Amino acid sequence: MLDDISRRRRPLRSLGASGQLGYGIPTPAFEAGLARSPDMIGVDMGSIDIGPSYLGGGKMAPTRVGAKRDLRKVLHAARRLDIPLIVGSAGSAGARPHLDQTLDIIREIAREDALAFRMAVVASDVPRVAIKRAIANGRVRPMDTMPPLTEADVDAASHIVGQLGLEAFRRALEADVDVVVLGRACDTGIFASIPALLGFPPGIAMHMAKIIECASLCCVPGGRDTILGILDDDGFELESMAPHRAATPSSVAAHSLYEQADPFEIREPSGRADLRQVAYRALDARRTRVEGATFEPAERMTLKLEGARMIGHRALLIAGAADPQFIARHAEIFAAVARVVRDLVCEDAVEDYRLLFRLFGVDGVRAWAEPPAQLPRETLVMGECIAPTPERAEEVIRTTKQYLLHHGYEGRLSTAGNLAFPFTPPEVMIGEAYRFNVLHLMDVDDMAGLFPVEVEKVD
Amino acid sequence: MRLDAIAKVIRSKNAGPCLLTLDVMLPDAATFAYVAARIDLLRRQVARRYGRSENEVAVLPYAPALAVKITLPRDVLAGDVGDRDVYGAQQHAPLLDIEL
Repeated sequence: MLDDISRRRRPLRSLGASGQLGYGIPTPAFEAGLARSPDMIGVDMGSIDIGPSYLGGGKMAPTRVGAKRDLRKVLHAARRLDIPLIVGSAGSAGARPHLDQTLDIIREIAREDALAFRMAVVASDVPRVAIKRAIANGRVRPMDTMPPLTEADVDAASHIVGQLGLEAFRRALEADVDVVVLGRACDTGIFASIPALLGFPPGIAMHMAKIIECASLCCVPGGRDTILGILDDDGFELESMAPHRAATPSSVAAHSLYEQADPFEIREPSGRADLRQVAYRALDARRTRVEGATFEPAERMTLKLEGARMIGHRALLIAGAADPQFIARHAEIFAAVARVVRDLVCEDAVEDYRLLFRLFGVDGVRAWAEPPAQLPRETLVMGECIAPTPERAEEVIRTTKQYLLHHGYEGRLSTAGNLAFPFTPPEVMIGEAYRFNVLHLMDVDDMAGLFPVEVEKVD
Repeated sequence: MRLDAIAKVIRSKNAGPCLLTLDVMLPDAATFAYVAARIDLLRRQVARRYGRSENEVAVLPYAPALAVKITLPRDVLAGDVGDRDVYGAQQHAPLLDIEL
Protein backbone atom coordinates (compact mmCIF):
# COMPACT_ATOMS: atom_id res chain seq x y z
CA MET A 1 0.00 0.00 0.00
CA LEU A 2 2.86 2.39 0.77
CA ASP A 3 4.41 1.66 -2.62
CA ASP A 4 1.13 2.81 -4.15
CA ILE A 5 1.30 6.10 -2.28
CA SER A 6 4.91 6.83 -3.11
CA ARG A 7 4.32 6.02 -6.77
CA ARG A 8 1.12 7.96 -6.93
CA ARG A 9 2.05 11.39 -5.81
CA ARG A 10 4.25 13.83 -4.03
CA PRO A 11 2.99 16.05 -2.36
CA LEU A 12 1.18 13.84 0.11
CA ARG A 13 -2.47 14.49 0.93
CA SER A 14 -3.58 13.62 4.47
CA LEU A 15 -7.12 13.79 5.69
CA GLY A 16 -7.65 14.63 9.37
CA ALA A 17 -11.13 13.17 9.68
CA SER A 18 -11.79 13.72 13.35
CA GLY A 19 -9.95 14.97 16.41
CA GLN A 20 -12.08 12.90 18.77
CA LEU A 21 -13.56 9.89 17.08
CA GLY A 22 -16.90 8.81 18.48
CA TYR A 23 -18.54 12.20 18.72
CA GLY A 24 -19.59 12.46 15.09
CA ILE A 25 -17.77 13.18 11.84
CA PRO A 26 -19.78 15.76 9.87
CA THR A 27 -20.51 14.03 6.56
CA PRO A 28 -20.43 16.97 4.11
CA ALA A 29 -16.87 18.01 5.01
CA PHE A 30 -15.69 14.40 5.21
CA GLU A 31 -17.10 13.60 1.76
CA ALA A 32 -15.59 16.83 0.38
CA GLY A 33 -12.25 15.62 1.71
CA LEU A 34 -12.62 12.21 0.09
CA ALA A 35 -13.32 13.94 -3.23
CA ARG A 36 -9.85 15.51 -3.01
CA SER A 37 -8.14 12.13 -3.53
CA PRO A 38 -6.40 11.86 -0.16
CA ASP A 39 -3.49 9.44 0.31
CA MET A 40 -4.49 8.49 3.86
CA ILE A 41 -7.14 9.05 6.50
CA GLY A 42 -6.17 9.58 10.12
CA VAL A 43 -8.25 9.76 13.28
CA ASP A 44 -7.32 10.33 16.89
CA MET A 45 -9.56 8.76 19.51
CA GLY A 46 -7.80 9.84 22.65
CA SER A 47 -6.77 12.48 25.10
CA ILE A 48 -5.58 12.60 28.68
CA ASP A 49 -7.76 15.65 29.33
CA ILE A 50 -10.77 13.48 30.00
CA GLY A 51 -9.31 12.52 33.35
CA PRO A 52 -8.21 9.31 35.07
CA SER A 53 -11.51 7.38 35.17
CA TYR A 54 -11.43 6.15 31.58
CA LEU A 55 -7.84 4.93 31.74
CA GLY A 56 -8.31 3.42 35.18
CA GLY A 57 -11.70 1.88 34.53
CA GLY A 58 -11.00 0.60 31.01
CA LYS A 59 -13.92 2.53 29.56
CA MET A 60 -14.27 4.56 26.37
CA ALA A 61 -15.31 8.20 26.64
CA PRO A 62 -17.78 8.19 23.74
CA THR A 63 -20.55 5.62 23.49
CA ARG A 64 -19.96 2.38 21.62
CA VAL A 65 -22.73 3.43 19.23
CA GLY A 66 -20.98 6.73 18.51
CA ALA A 67 -17.58 5.09 18.08
CA LYS A 68 -19.04 2.45 15.77
CA ARG A 69 -20.85 5.01 13.61
CA ASP A 70 -17.65 7.03 13.15
CA LEU A 71 -15.38 4.03 12.65
CA ARG A 72 -17.81 2.68 10.05
CA LYS A 73 -17.62 5.97 8.18
CA VAL A 74 -13.82 6.11 8.03
CA LEU A 75 -13.41 2.37 7.37
CA HIS A 76 -15.76 2.46 4.40
CA ALA A 77 -14.07 5.55 3.00
CA ALA A 78 -10.58 4.12 3.33
CA ARG A 79 -11.55 0.84 1.71
CA ARG A 80 -13.44 2.60 -1.07
CA LEU A 81 -10.41 4.73 -1.94
CA ASP A 82 -8.01 1.91 -1.07
CA ILE A 83 -5.88 4.13 1.17
CA PRO A 84 -4.55 3.52 4.69
CA LEU A 85 -6.67 4.31 7.72
CA ILE A 86 -4.65 5.15 10.83
CA VAL A 87 -6.30 5.22 14.26
CA GLY A 88 -4.43 6.49 17.31
CA SER A 89 -5.21 6.19 21.04
CA ALA A 90 -7.86 3.55 20.51
CA GLY A 91 -10.89 3.75 22.74
CA SER A 92 -9.95 7.09 24.38
CA ALA A 93 -7.28 6.03 26.86
CA GLY A 94 -5.54 3.41 24.72
CA ALA A 95 -5.05 0.62 27.28
CA ARG A 96 -5.79 -3.03 26.45
CA PRO A 97 -9.53 -2.87 27.29
CA HIS A 98 -9.91 0.28 25.15
CA LEU A 99 -7.96 -1.26 22.31
CA ASP A 100 -9.99 -4.48 22.53
CA GLN A 101 -13.29 -2.58 22.46
CA THR A 102 -12.12 -0.65 19.40
CA LEU A 103 -10.93 -3.79 17.59
CA ASP A 104 -14.16 -5.53 18.46
CA ILE A 105 -16.13 -2.70 16.82
CA ILE A 106 -13.91 -2.77 13.73
CA ARG A 107 -14.30 -6.55 13.32
CA GLU A 108 -18.04 -6.22 13.82
CA ILE A 109 -18.29 -3.57 11.09
CA ALA A 110 -16.22 -5.71 8.73
CA ARG A 111 -18.48 -8.67 9.37
CA GLU A 112 -21.72 -6.73 8.98
CA ASP A 113 -20.63 -4.82 5.89
CA ALA A 114 -18.54 -7.53 4.20
CA LEU A 115 -15.29 -5.55 4.31
CA ALA A 116 -11.97 -7.36 4.10
CA PHE A 117 -8.60 -5.84 4.98
CA ARG A 118 -5.30 -6.36 6.71
CA MET A 119 -4.96 -4.64 10.06
CA ALA A 120 -1.89 -3.95 12.18
CA VAL A 121 -2.34 -3.42 15.89
CA VAL A 122 0.14 -2.16 18.45
CA ALA A 123 -0.84 -2.33 22.11
CA SER A 124 0.66 0.35 24.33
CA ASP A 125 0.38 -1.28 27.74
CA VAL A 126 3.79 -1.20 29.41
CA PRO A 127 4.82 -4.38 31.28
CA ARG A 128 5.10 -3.59 34.99
CA VAL A 129 8.34 -5.51 35.25
CA ALA A 130 9.89 -3.28 32.58
CA ILE A 131 8.86 -0.13 34.47
CA LYS A 132 10.20 -1.48 37.77
CA ARG A 133 13.48 -2.37 36.12
CA ALA A 134 13.66 1.15 34.69
CA ILE A 135 12.94 2.66 38.12
CA ALA A 136 15.74 0.57 39.62
CA ASN A 137 18.10 1.74 36.89
CA GLY A 138 17.23 5.42 37.33
CA ARG A 139 15.58 5.58 33.93
CA VAL A 140 12.22 6.98 35.04
CA ARG A 141 11.63 10.67 35.71
CA PRO A 142 8.52 12.48 36.95
CA MET A 143 6.65 14.82 34.64
CA ASP A 144 5.88 18.35 35.76
CA THR A 145 4.75 18.33 39.40
CA MET A 146 4.58 14.55 39.94
CA PRO A 147 6.64 12.86 42.68
CA PRO A 148 9.18 10.16 41.74
CA LEU A 149 7.62 6.87 40.65
CA THR A 150 7.70 3.94 43.09
CA GLU A 151 7.17 0.23 42.60
CA ALA A 152 4.04 0.56 44.76
CA ASP A 153 2.62 3.09 42.26
CA VAL A 154 3.29 0.66 39.44
CA ASP A 155 1.48 -2.16 41.28
CA ALA A 156 -1.42 0.07 42.30
CA ALA A 157 -2.24 1.35 38.81
CA SER A 158 -4.99 -0.58 37.09
CA HIS A 159 -3.53 0.26 33.68
CA ILE A 160 -0.25 1.83 32.59
CA VAL A 161 0.19 2.85 28.98
CA GLY A 162 3.07 4.46 27.11
CA GLN A 163 2.45 7.11 24.49
CA LEU A 164 3.76 5.40 21.38
CA GLY A 165 5.40 7.57 18.78
CA LEU A 166 5.75 7.61 15.03
CA GLU A 167 8.28 4.78 15.27
CA ALA A 168 5.46 2.42 16.32
CA PHE A 169 3.11 3.67 13.58
CA ARG A 170 5.97 3.14 11.13
CA ARG A 171 6.49 -0.46 12.14
CA ALA A 172 2.77 -1.07 11.82
CA LEU A 173 2.66 0.46 8.33
CA GLU A 174 5.68 -1.57 7.26
CA ALA A 175 3.62 -4.72 7.84
CA ASP A 176 1.86 -3.88 4.58
CA VAL A 177 -1.61 -3.31 6.00
CA ASP A 178 -4.72 -1.31 5.17
CA VAL A 179 -5.68 -0.33 8.70
CA VAL A 180 -3.44 0.62 11.61
CA VAL A 181 -4.78 0.78 15.16
CA LEU A 182 -2.60 1.81 18.08
CA GLY A 183 -3.27 1.89 21.78
CA ARG A 184 -2.23 5.09 23.50
CA ALA A 185 -0.17 7.08 21.01
CA CYS A 186 1.13 10.56 20.30
CA ASP A 187 -1.39 12.19 18.00
CA THR A 188 1.46 13.38 15.78
CA GLY A 189 2.40 9.79 14.91
CA ILE A 190 -0.92 9.28 13.12
CA PHE A 191 -0.03 11.78 10.41
CA ALA A 192 3.77 11.95 10.59
CA SER A 193 4.47 8.24 10.13
CA ILE A 194 3.69 7.92 6.40
CA PRO A 195 5.73 11.08 5.67
CA ALA A 196 8.59 9.54 7.67
CA LEU A 197 8.46 6.37 5.59
CA LEU A 198 8.42 8.41 2.38
CA GLY A 199 11.32 10.59 3.43
CA PHE A 200 9.60 13.93 3.99
CA PRO A 201 11.39 16.34 6.36
CA PRO A 202 10.34 15.19 9.85
CA GLY A 203 9.96 18.63 11.47
CA ILE A 204 7.52 19.86 8.86
CA ALA A 205 5.61 16.57 8.88
CA MET A 206 5.31 16.62 12.66
CA HIS A 207 4.10 20.19 12.64
CA MET A 208 1.41 19.36 10.10
CA ALA A 209 0.47 16.25 12.05
CA LYS A 210 0.03 18.21 15.27
CA ILE A 211 -2.40 20.55 13.54
CA ILE A 212 -4.52 18.22 11.45
CA GLU A 213 -5.03 15.67 14.21
CA CYS A 214 -7.50 18.20 15.65
CA ALA A 215 -9.41 18.36 12.33
CA SER A 216 -10.58 21.95 11.68
CA LEU A 217 -9.88 23.25 15.18
CA CYS A 218 -7.07 25.41 13.73
CA CYS A 219 -9.59 27.42 11.65
CA VAL A 220 -11.86 30.38 12.20
CA PRO A 221 -14.39 29.42 13.32
CA GLY A 222 -12.73 26.33 14.78
CA GLY A 223 -14.65 23.08 14.51
CA ARG A 224 -14.57 19.35 14.11
CA ASP A 225 -14.96 19.19 10.33
CA THR A 226 -12.43 17.22 8.31
CA ILE A 227 -9.26 19.04 7.25
CA LEU A 228 -6.88 18.38 4.35
CA GLY A 229 -3.12 18.77 4.81
CA ILE A 230 -0.96 18.76 1.69
CA LEU A 231 2.69 18.09 2.49
CA ASP A 232 5.70 18.69 0.23
CA ASP A 233 9.42 18.88 0.93
CA ASP A 234 9.35 22.54 1.99
CA GLY A 235 6.12 22.88 3.93
CA PHE A 236 2.44 22.11 3.99
CA GLU A 237 -0.89 23.64 3.11
CA LEU A 238 -4.01 23.48 5.22
CA GLU A 239 -7.57 23.63 4.00
CA SER A 240 -10.73 22.88 5.97
CA MET A 241 -13.17 20.73 4.06
CA ALA A 242 -16.02 22.82 5.50
CA PRO A 243 -16.45 25.91 3.29
CA HIS A 244 -17.34 28.21 6.21
CA ARG A 245 -14.11 27.44 8.09
CA ALA A 246 -10.92 29.28 7.15
CA ALA A 247 -7.36 28.27 8.01
CA THR A 248 -5.72 31.68 8.33
CA PRO A 249 -2.08 32.37 9.26
CA SER A 250 -3.12 33.68 12.67
CA SER A 251 -5.65 30.92 13.40
CA VAL A 252 -3.12 28.24 12.45
CA ALA A 253 -0.35 29.91 14.47
CA ALA A 254 -2.70 30.21 17.44
CA HIS A 255 -3.39 26.48 17.34
CA SER A 256 0.16 25.85 18.61
CA LEU A 257 -0.96 27.35 21.91
CA TYR A 258 -3.75 24.86 22.44
CA GLU A 259 -3.25 22.55 25.44
CA GLN A 260 0.53 23.03 25.20
CA ALA A 261 2.81 24.55 27.78
CA ASP A 262 5.33 25.51 25.07
CA PRO A 263 3.95 26.72 21.72
CA PHE A 264 7.39 26.53 20.09
CA GLU A 265 7.91 22.81 20.33
CA ILE A 266 6.22 19.46 19.76
CA ARG A 267 7.65 16.45 21.56
CA GLU A 268 7.40 12.79 20.79
CA PRO A 269 9.49 9.77 21.82
CA SER A 270 12.06 10.12 19.05
CA GLY A 271 12.67 13.85 19.34
CA ARG A 272 11.18 17.30 19.10
CA ALA A 273 9.98 19.62 16.37
CA ASP A 274 11.14 23.21 16.83
CA LEU A 275 8.66 25.84 15.64
CA ARG A 276 10.72 28.97 16.32
CA GLN A 277 11.42 29.65 12.64
CA VAL A 278 7.97 28.80 11.32
CA ALA A 279 6.31 31.17 8.84
CA TYR A 280 2.59 31.17 8.10
CA ARG A 281 1.43 32.57 4.76
CA ALA A 282 -2.11 32.95 3.40
CA LEU A 283 -2.62 31.25 0.03
CA ASP A 284 -6.12 32.68 -0.16
CA ALA A 285 -8.87 33.55 2.30
CA ARG A 286 -9.30 29.92 3.43
CA ARG A 287 -5.93 28.26 2.96
CA THR A 288 -2.61 28.76 4.73
CA ARG A 289 0.87 27.53 3.89
CA VAL A 290 3.26 26.71 6.72
CA GLU A 291 7.03 26.30 6.48
CA GLY A 292 10.06 26.27 8.71
CA ALA A 293 9.69 23.63 11.44
CA THR A 294 12.86 21.69 12.15
CA PHE A 295 13.37 18.34 13.88
CA GLU A 296 15.87 17.54 16.57
CA PRO A 297 16.23 13.81 17.22
CA ALA A 298 16.41 12.79 20.87
CA GLU A 299 19.58 11.15 22.16
CA ARG A 300 17.48 8.27 23.43
CA MET A 301 13.86 7.25 23.03
CA THR A 302 11.64 8.48 25.84
CA LEU A 303 8.23 7.06 26.59
CA LYS A 304 5.56 9.09 28.36
CA LEU A 305 3.86 6.79 30.87
CA GLU A 306 0.26 7.29 31.96
CA GLY A 307 -1.33 5.27 34.73
CA ALA A 308 -4.39 5.53 36.94
CA ARG A 309 -5.29 3.77 40.16
CA MET A 310 -8.62 3.25 41.84
CA ILE A 311 -9.14 5.33 44.98
CA GLY A 312 -12.62 4.17 45.92
CA HIS A 313 -16.25 4.57 44.96
CA ARG A 314 -17.92 7.91 44.43
CA ALA A 315 -21.41 9.02 45.44
CA LEU A 316 -22.94 12.48 45.04
CA LEU A 317 -25.64 14.57 46.62
CA ILE A 318 -27.18 17.19 44.33
CA ALA A 319 -29.44 19.88 45.74
CA GLY A 320 -30.14 23.60 45.61
CA ALA A 321 -30.31 26.32 48.23
CA ALA A 322 -31.76 29.82 48.14
CA ASP A 323 -31.68 30.86 51.78
CA PRO A 324 -29.31 33.84 52.19
CA GLN A 325 -28.20 32.74 55.66
CA PHE A 326 -27.53 29.18 54.54
CA ILE A 327 -25.50 30.50 51.62
CA ALA A 328 -23.57 32.96 53.75
CA ARG A 329 -22.79 30.42 56.47
CA HIS A 330 -22.33 27.37 54.25
CA ALA A 331 -18.77 26.66 55.40
CA GLU A 332 -19.65 26.23 59.07
CA ILE A 333 -22.86 24.34 58.18
CA PHE A 334 -21.00 21.87 55.96
CA ALA A 335 -18.37 21.35 58.66
CA ALA A 336 -20.99 20.78 61.34
CA VAL A 337 -22.94 18.32 59.18
CA ALA A 338 -19.75 16.47 58.30
CA ARG A 339 -19.12 15.98 62.04
CA VAL A 340 -22.68 14.74 62.67
CA VAL A 341 -22.38 12.32 59.76
CA ARG A 342 -19.00 11.07 60.94
CA ASP A 343 -20.30 10.41 64.45
CA LEU A 344 -23.17 8.40 63.00
CA VAL A 345 -21.49 6.37 60.28
CA CYS A 346 -18.34 5.76 62.31
CA GLU A 347 -20.08 4.35 65.38
CA ASP A 348 -19.02 0.83 64.39
CA ALA A 349 -16.53 1.64 61.65
CA VAL A 350 -13.42 3.69 61.04
CA GLU A 351 -13.50 6.99 59.16
CA ASP A 352 -12.54 5.40 55.88
CA TYR A 353 -14.09 7.91 53.46
CA ARG A 354 -13.72 11.47 52.18
CA LEU A 355 -16.70 13.82 52.25
CA LEU A 356 -16.42 17.07 50.31
CA PHE A 357 -18.81 19.92 49.57
CA ARG A 358 -18.87 22.39 46.72
CA LEU A 359 -21.28 25.30 46.68
CA PHE A 360 -21.78 26.31 43.08
CA GLY A 361 -22.25 30.06 42.92
CA VAL A 362 -19.52 30.47 45.54
CA ASP A 363 -16.71 27.93 45.16
CA GLY A 364 -17.89 25.25 42.75
CA VAL A 365 -15.45 25.99 39.94
CA ARG A 366 -12.48 27.44 41.81
CA ALA A 367 -11.33 27.39 45.40
CA TRP A 368 -11.30 31.18 45.48
CA ALA A 369 -9.22 32.85 48.14
CA GLU A 370 -12.07 35.17 49.08
CA PRO A 371 -15.86 34.88 48.94
CA PRO A 372 -17.65 36.88 46.24
CA ALA A 373 -18.43 40.54 46.98
CA GLN A 374 -22.12 39.75 46.64
CA LEU A 375 -23.49 36.32 47.47
CA PRO A 376 -25.66 34.65 44.81
CA ARG A 377 -29.44 34.38 45.12
CA GLU A 378 -29.38 30.65 44.45
CA THR A 379 -26.68 28.02 44.73
CA LEU A 380 -26.13 24.39 43.83
CA VAL A 381 -24.96 22.24 46.71
CA MET A 382 -22.88 19.26 45.70
CA GLY A 383 -21.81 16.75 48.28
CA GLU A 384 -19.26 14.14 47.23
CA CYS A 385 -18.19 11.03 49.06
CA ILE A 386 -15.36 8.72 48.08
CA ALA A 387 -15.36 5.51 50.12
CA PRO A 388 -13.80 2.04 49.92
CA THR A 389 -17.04 0.36 48.81
CA PRO A 390 -20.15 1.54 46.90
CA GLU A 391 -22.27 0.68 49.93
CA ARG A 392 -20.15 2.80 52.23
CA ALA A 393 -20.22 5.77 49.82
CA GLU A 394 -23.99 5.49 49.56
CA GLU A 395 -24.40 5.23 53.33
CA VAL A 396 -22.33 8.37 53.90
CA ILE A 397 -24.00 10.43 51.18
CA ARG A 398 -27.56 9.44 52.15
CA THR A 399 -26.85 10.27 55.76
CA THR A 400 -25.34 13.58 54.66
CA LYS A 401 -28.48 14.40 52.67
CA GLN A 402 -30.70 13.86 55.69
CA TYR A 403 -28.64 15.90 58.13
CA LEU A 404 -27.83 18.71 55.73
CA LEU A 405 -31.54 19.01 54.94
CA HIS A 406 -32.50 19.34 58.58
CA HIS A 407 -29.40 20.90 60.12
CA GLY A 408 -30.40 23.56 62.59
CA TYR A 409 -28.10 26.53 62.84
CA GLU A 410 -28.42 29.64 64.91
CA GLY A 411 -30.81 32.20 63.49
CA ARG A 412 -32.29 29.76 60.98
CA LEU A 413 -35.60 30.91 59.45
CA SER A 414 -36.26 28.05 57.01
CA THR A 415 -36.86 25.39 59.67
CA ALA A 416 -38.65 22.94 57.35
CA GLY A 417 -35.56 22.17 55.30
CA ASN A 418 -32.30 23.67 54.01
CA LEU A 419 -32.26 22.07 50.58
CA ALA A 420 -34.29 22.07 47.37
CA PHE A 421 -34.18 18.72 45.57
CA PRO A 422 -34.88 19.05 41.85
CA PHE A 423 -35.70 15.33 41.84
CA THR A 424 -35.46 12.41 44.22
CA PRO A 425 -33.50 10.43 44.99
CA PRO A 426 -31.01 13.32 45.09
CA GLU A 427 -28.13 10.89 45.71
CA VAL A 428 -26.26 9.62 42.68
CA MET A 429 -23.91 6.66 42.63
CA ILE A 430 -21.15 7.50 40.18
CA GLY A 431 -19.09 4.33 40.39
CA GLU A 432 -15.37 3.76 40.74
CA ALA A 433 -13.16 6.81 41.31
CA TYR A 434 -9.59 6.98 40.00
CA ARG A 435 -6.56 9.19 40.16
CA PHE A 436 -3.58 9.54 37.87
CA ASN A 437 -0.70 8.02 39.80
CA VAL A 438 1.72 7.56 36.90
CA LEU A 439 2.70 10.52 34.72
CA HIS A 440 6.36 9.85 34.12
CA LEU A 441 8.99 9.63 31.43
CA MET A 442 10.83 6.36 30.89
CA ASP A 443 13.93 5.81 28.77
CA VAL A 444 13.44 2.92 26.37
CA ASP A 445 16.07 1.19 24.23
CA ASP A 446 13.90 -1.35 22.46
CA MET A 447 10.46 -0.02 21.54
CA ALA A 448 9.83 -2.88 19.10
CA GLY A 449 10.54 -5.43 21.81
CA LEU A 450 8.15 -3.79 24.27
CA PHE A 451 5.43 -2.98 21.76
CA PRO A 452 5.32 -5.58 18.99
CA VAL A 453 3.08 -5.27 15.92
CA GLU A 454 0.27 -7.81 15.64
CA VAL A 455 -1.12 -8.31 12.13
CA GLU A 456 -4.62 -9.58 11.58
CA LYS A 457 -6.62 -10.41 8.49
CA VAL A 458 -10.11 -9.04 9.02
CA ASP A 459 -12.95 -10.32 6.89
CA MET B 1 -6.03 48.71 31.11
CA ARG B 2 -8.04 45.67 32.14
CA LEU B 3 -7.08 42.47 30.40
CA ASP B 4 -10.66 41.60 29.42
CA ALA B 5 -11.00 45.01 27.79
CA ILE B 6 -7.99 44.57 25.51
CA ALA B 7 -7.84 40.81 24.81
CA LYS B 8 -9.61 38.99 21.98
CA VAL B 9 -9.42 35.63 23.73
CA ILE B 10 -8.72 34.73 27.36
CA ARG B 11 -8.87 30.98 27.92
CA SER B 12 -7.57 28.22 30.14
CA LYS B 13 -6.97 24.50 29.65
CA ASN B 14 -4.80 21.74 31.04
CA ALA B 15 -1.38 21.22 29.55
CA GLY B 16 -1.26 17.67 30.86
CA PRO B 17 -2.87 16.71 34.19
CA CYS B 18 -0.36 18.67 36.29
CA LEU B 19 -0.34 22.04 34.56
CA LEU B 20 -2.78 24.77 33.70
CA THR B 21 -2.10 26.89 30.65
CA LEU B 22 -3.76 30.23 30.00
CA ASP B 23 -3.76 31.97 26.64
CA VAL B 24 -4.32 35.68 26.26
CA MET B 25 -4.72 36.59 22.60
CA LEU B 26 -4.48 40.21 21.63
CA PRO B 27 -6.24 41.83 18.67
CA ASP B 28 -3.31 43.63 17.05
CA ALA B 29 0.47 44.08 17.10
CA ALA B 30 0.31 47.28 19.15
CA THR B 31 -1.74 45.68 21.94
CA PHE B 32 0.49 42.61 21.86
CA ALA B 33 3.56 44.84 22.23
CA TYR B 34 1.87 46.68 25.12
CA VAL B 35 1.23 43.42 27.00
CA ALA B 36 4.56 41.83 26.03
CA ALA B 37 6.32 44.87 27.53
CA ARG B 38 4.55 44.20 30.85
CA ILE B 39 5.35 40.50 31.26
CA ASP B 40 6.87 40.93 34.73
CA LEU B 41 3.84 42.81 36.02
CA LEU B 42 1.57 40.19 34.48
CA ARG B 43 3.54 37.36 36.11
CA ARG B 44 3.29 39.07 39.52
CA GLN B 45 -0.45 39.59 39.14
CA VAL B 46 -1.05 36.01 38.01
CA ALA B 47 1.04 34.59 40.85
CA ARG B 48 -0.94 36.61 43.39
CA ARG B 49 -4.35 35.72 41.99
CA TYR B 50 -3.64 32.02 41.62
CA GLY B 51 -1.88 31.75 44.97
CA ARG B 52 1.49 30.83 43.47
CA SER B 53 5.02 32.09 43.84
CA GLU B 54 6.33 34.01 40.85
CA ASN B 55 8.85 31.34 39.93
CA GLU B 56 6.01 28.83 39.48
CA VAL B 57 4.41 31.00 36.80
CA ALA B 58 5.85 30.98 33.28
CA VAL B 59 4.79 33.82 30.99
CA LEU B 60 5.77 33.56 27.36
CA PRO B 61 4.97 36.01 24.57
CA TYR B 62 4.08 34.17 21.35
CA ALA B 63 4.29 36.66 18.52
CA PRO B 64 2.98 34.39 15.69
CA ALA B 65 -0.49 34.49 17.26
CA LEU B 66 -0.16 37.87 19.03
CA ALA B 67 -0.63 35.96 22.25
CA VAL B 68 0.84 35.60 25.70
CA LYS B 69 0.93 32.14 27.23
CA ILE B 70 0.87 31.66 30.98
CA THR B 71 1.58 28.24 32.49
CA LEU B 72 1.40 27.30 36.15
CA PRO B 73 0.87 24.19 38.29
CA ARG B 74 -2.71 23.06 38.88
CA ASP B 75 -3.80 23.21 42.53
CA VAL B 76 -5.11 19.64 42.32
CA LEU B 77 -4.00 17.03 39.79
CA ALA B 78 -6.69 16.78 37.10
CA GLY B 79 -9.46 14.49 38.27
CA ASP B 80 -8.01 13.88 41.71
CA VAL B 81 -10.05 14.15 44.91
CA GLY B 82 -11.22 17.73 45.38
CA ASP B 83 -10.61 18.84 41.80
CA ARG B 84 -13.16 21.33 40.55
CA ASP B 85 -12.32 21.50 36.85
CA VAL B 86 -10.93 18.32 35.28
CA TYR B 87 -10.24 19.91 31.89
CA GLY B 88 -9.14 23.22 33.41
CA ALA B 89 -11.33 25.08 30.94
CA GLN B 90 -12.85 27.55 33.44
CA GLN B 91 -9.78 28.69 35.32
CA HIS B 92 -9.31 31.90 33.35
CA ALA B 93 -11.68 34.05 35.39
CA PRO B 94 -9.04 35.45 37.80
CA LEU B 95 -7.24 36.91 34.77
CA LEU B 96 -10.13 39.00 33.52
CA ASP B 97 -9.76 42.07 35.70
CA ILE B 98 -5.97 42.21 35.84
CA GLU B 99 -4.83 45.80 35.27
CA LEU B 100 -1.80 46.25 33.06
